[in-house]
Amino acid sequence: MTVKVRFFARFRELLGTDILVEKKSGVVLAALVKDIAREKKEGYDAIFDENGNFREFVIVMRNGKRLEPADTATVMVAEGDEIAVFPPVAGG
Amino acid sequence: MIAIQHEDVDIGRLIENAKQPGTGAVVVFDGIVRDDDIREMELEAYEEVALQELGKIAEEAKKLHTLFHVDIVHRIGRLSVGDNILIIVVSAGHRPQAYAGSRYIIEEIKKGVPIWKKELRKDGDRWVPGEHPHGSGKPRS
Repeated sequence: MTVKVRFFARFRELLGTDILVEKKSGVVLAALVKDIAREKKEGYDAIFDENGNFREFVIVMRNGKRLEPADTATVMVAEGDEIAVFPPVAGG
Repeated sequence: MIAIQHEDVDIGRLIENAKQPGTGAVVVFDGIVRDDDIREMELEAYEEVALQELGKIAEEAKKLHTLFHVDIVHRIGRLSVGDNILIIVVSAGHRPQAYAGSRYIIEEIKKGVPIWKKELRKDGDRWVPGEHPHGSGKPRS
């Protein structure tokens, strides 16, 4: 199973983007992102709090749709998913 | 025209195109890189999603405020002080709808469209903090 993870803005600077992850079996979305973020402590700390939860201001999308924070801990990623993780938007 | 692009746009041409039959008012919003002790600004977007959301905002604005025409052009990439960032052109039969529609669009963009700005300053670069933390921008999908 291949899943793409995209980070934006500050998170992209810390962790990169367009990261393709190969997994043999189902994995929970939050755990998938955590595994990638652990590569760099500063990146992990920017996104996750001391309890391992997404920080309150972090926005997560799966295939272009925003997820509620609680869902990130239960949603299983599927083949071809695109997960996006980013800070509050500042367009306009 | 709904676009996310690096290039600037001919606002005069957009205004002319917005004048549909029955138009009594055209309102233009032009968001500009302000001189806030910055050298330049870099803009980044989750383009596929941002474009969809701009399209949905335009359709909502048309319905809610009886607009005849909506253009939204949001630039990305590196911009200088004074450059256009975001151009919104709306037309309506009367000015109350045109003003309200234009305002609706800019406020909705600021709430939730995945675009970010980085200020490039002499004393260090800074990502502009979002005004709306997670949860306050309702999903459009």
